Amino acid sequence: MAGINYGVEAENLGKAYRLYASPFRRVVEAATLGRVSGHQQFWALRNIDFKLRRGSSMGLCGANGAGKSTLLKVLSGITAPSEGRLRLNGRVASLLELGAGFHLDFSGRSNIMLNGVMMGFTRREMTARMGEIIDFAELGKYIDEPVRTYSSGMGLRLGFSIAIAIDPEILIIDEVFAVGDMYFQKKCVDRIYDFKRRGKTILFCSHSLYDIRQLCDEAIWVREGRSAALGDALFVTNEYTSYQRQHIDDASRALEAMVPKASGFADGLPDELPQVRDARVYRLGTDEETYEVHTGDAIEIRVWWENPDPAAMPIHIGIGFLRQDSTIAAGVGTHIDGQRLKGKSGCTILCIPKLPLLAGQFLMPIVLFDEGGVHRYHESLVPENLMVRARTKDVGLVYIDHGWDLDGAHPLPGESHVPARKTPAARR
Amino acid sequence: MPPTSATQPVDPTSGGPGADWAPFKPGPWVVPESPGFAHLLAKLPGLPAVVFAHRDLVFSAVVRELRARFQGTLLGWLWPLVYPIFMFGVYYFIFAELLQVKMPNITPEQKPAMGIFMFVGVVVWTGFAEGVLRAGNVIVENGNLIKKLSFPTELLPLNVVLVSLTTMMFGVGIFVAVLWLSIAGRELGIFETALWPDAPGIGLLWIPVLLVVQLLFTYGLGLILATMQVFLRDTMQLASILVLTWMFVTPVFWVASEKVIPGISPYLDTLALNPLLHLLNCWRHVLMVAQPAIAFDGQPAFLHSLGVFATCGAVLFVVGYLFFLRSQRRFADEV
Repeated sequence: MAGINYGVEAENLGKAYRLYASPFRRVVEAATLGRVSGHQQFWALRNIDFKLRRGSSMGLCGANGAGKSTLLKVLSGITAPSEGRLRLNGRVASLLELGAGFHLDFSGRSNIMLNGVMMGFTRREMTARMGEIIDFAELGKYIDEPVRTYSSGMGLRLGFSIAIAIDPEILIIDEVFAVGDMYFQKKCVDRIYDFKRRGKTILFCSHSLYDIRQLCDEAIWVREGRSAALGDALFVTNEYTSYQRQHIDDASRALEAMVPKASGFADGLPDELPQVRDARVYRLGTDEETYEVHTGDAIEIRVWWENPDPAAMPIHIGIGFLRQDSTIAAGVGTHIDGQRLKGKSGCTILCIPKLPLLAGQFLMPIVLFDEGGVHRYHESLVPENLMVRARTKDVGLVYIDHGWDLDGAHPLPGESHVPARKTPAARR
Repeated sequence: MPPTSATQPVDPTSGGPGADWAPFKPGPWVVPESPGFAHLLAKLPGLPAVVFAHRDLVFSAVVRELRARFQGTLLGWLWPLVYPIFMFGVYYFIFAELLQVKMPNITPEQKPAMGIFMFVGVVVWTGFAEGVLRAGNVIVENGNLIKKLSFPTELLPLNVVLVSLTTMMFGVGIFVAVLWLSIAGRELGIFETALWPDAPGIGLLWIPVLLVVQLLFTYGLGLILATMQVFLRDTMQLASILVLTWMFVTPVFWVASEKVIPGISPYLDTLALNPLLHLLNCWRHVLMVAQPAIAFDGQPAFLHSLGVFATCGAVLFVVGYLFFLRSQRRFADEV
C-alpha cells in the first residue's frame, strides 16, 4: 500500500534568530519595510535533513545549547523554520517542558481538562479520557490537590499521561524523563514501545544516552546547530560519547591551568597584594608532613602568608575541603571564627583534632579574604590533595559522631501514653 | 547490551509490521515564508471555526480568569457587583449632590441624571479600555506558554476581551436591576421618586448586537497592540497613555452638547470621528431610554451611531486579525 511511510520529514531545516542590538534598529527596519536591515542573524539550527519512518523513534543528543530544543520546537510547530521545510504526517503531541500550560492553583484533575482543551480537544472528549489519564498517572489523592503542591516527578506523571492519552500519531518529548522515578520511567518506556508497535512515531531528546540506545532506532547528534551524526542510535551515541570524553579532558586541563598551586607561586604576583606563600598538611603537633590520612586522625594545616600592608588591608584566611566531584565538604575561615591575623607575614595553623571526612580525595583551596570575607585577594590550592581512608563502613561525606540506644520505649507520637522507662530524652 | 539491533527500523516497502497500519493523510509542508496576503484573507472566515473547535479552551479560560480574579477574596463573586455599585454611589454623590451639576430642562426627579449618564459611560469605557490594554499585553505575558505549546495564539486576546466584556455586563446588569427596583419602589409608594423616569425595556434586546460590535472593535485593536508589543515593548507603555487621553476626549464624564458645554459646537464634528463616542451613545440610548432629552441633545441617532461603530469595528477587526496572523509564527522567537 502506497501510504505515507514517513512520520516526520525534514528537508534542509534551518532556524535563524534575529538579534537586534537595540529596539531602535528594529523600528528602523520596520519603518523602511526591511530595506535597511537592523539585525544580525544567528543560526540556531542549519542543514537538518532526515526522514523518520512511521513506527520508529529518533533520539536527539548533544550538549546544552546545541539546538536540540530549537529543533523540537520547530518540529512541533511552535516556531516556524527559517529555511528548508518539514512535514508531519499525523496528529502531534509535544511535551517540551514539565508543567507547560499547567495552572498551579488548580487541581490535577482540572489541569487535565485545561491542558486537553489547550490542545484542541473538547471537554466531552477529555472527560472520556479522564479515567485513563488518572489511572496512568497514579497520583492517588493528589489528583485533586493543586498542582502547586506537586513534585517535578508528579508533574511529569500528569504531563506524560495527558500527552499519551490524546493518542497522537507523532509524539515529541523533550528531556523530561529525568525527574521520573524508576517505576514510572518503566511505565513510560513500555508505553513508548507500545506506541511504536502501533505505527506511531516518536522524537525524543535526552542527555541519557542509555535511554536513547534503549528506546530509539535512530538518533541525531546536534552540535552547534548542525547534525554532527545521524543514523543508527548506537552509532550516533558512540560518536557522541567519544567526542564528549575528549572534550572533558580538554576542559579539565584548562581548569587545572587556571588555579595556581600555592607552593613557589609567590614570585609571579605583584608584591603589593596579600598572598599565600605556601601551605602544607602535618600530623597535629608534629613536623611529619602527610597527605594520606584516616578518618578521625589529628592533623594540622599550616599556611604561610604575607601581607605588605596589614593596616590598609586586614586579611582573613579561608580553607575549604572539596571532594573530587566538586562537592564542598566543609569550609572554615578566620573571619567566621572572629580571629585576627596580625603582622606583615606569618604562619597560621588550622588544627583539626579529629578529621571527620570519610574516604575520598579532597582538594584544599586556600583563600585570602578582605576584612568582610567577601573580596578574595589571593586563591590557591594546597599543592597536594588529601587522601582520606575510612576505618569504618559509614557512608557519605563525613563521619557523624554517634551512638545507638536499642531499647527506646517512647510511645508513637499521637498514641496514648505508655509508661516509659527512665530515659534522658523522655519529656513531660 | 542495549536492544538496538532488535529494534532496527523495518523497511516499509517489504511488508513487515507496517503493512496493516492505516495510511496517514500527508500533512501540509511547513515552510519558512510567511503566508501571503491572499492566503491570510482566506483564513479570515476560518476564525469562527477555530474558536468553535477550541470553544472549551475559550470557555474555560474565561471562567478561570474570572474565578482567579476573585479566588481567595472574602466577597468572592460579589466583587464584580460591588465595583459598579460603588462607582455609582461615588458619581451620584460627587456630581449630583456635591457639585450640583445641573442640566437645564431637567426635572427634579431626574436629578441623578448626570450620575447615571457617567455611570453608563464609565462601565462601558472600562469594559473597552481594560479589554484593549489586557489584550495588548496578553501575548507577552503568556510567553512561556507560547514557547512551549502549539495552539492558536489568537485565542489569548479573545479570552481577555471576553472577560472584560463579561465584567462589564455585571455592571450593566446591576444598573438595569437598580433602575427597575427604584421604579418598582416608586410604583409601590416606597420611594417618592425613582432614580430614573423610564425603565429600560424592549431596547435591551439591542445589547447582544452592541456586545458583538464592541467585541470586534476591542479584539481588533487588541490584536494590533498585542502584535506590536511582541516586537516593541514600548507599545503598551504608550498605549496606556493614549487610552487615558482617549477617555478624556470621549464623552464619558461630559455631554457633547452646546446646551451643557457652551462653545463646544465647532468641535462636535471632529469629536464625532471618535468611534467610542458612538459606542457610548449607543449604550446610553439603550440603557437610559433616551431620557432625559438633554443627555442626547445634539447626539447622533442610535442607528447612525451603531452603523458608524459597527463599520469601524469590522474594519479594525479584519485589519487587526490579518496583522496578527502575519506575525503569529514569529511570536515564539520574540517573547
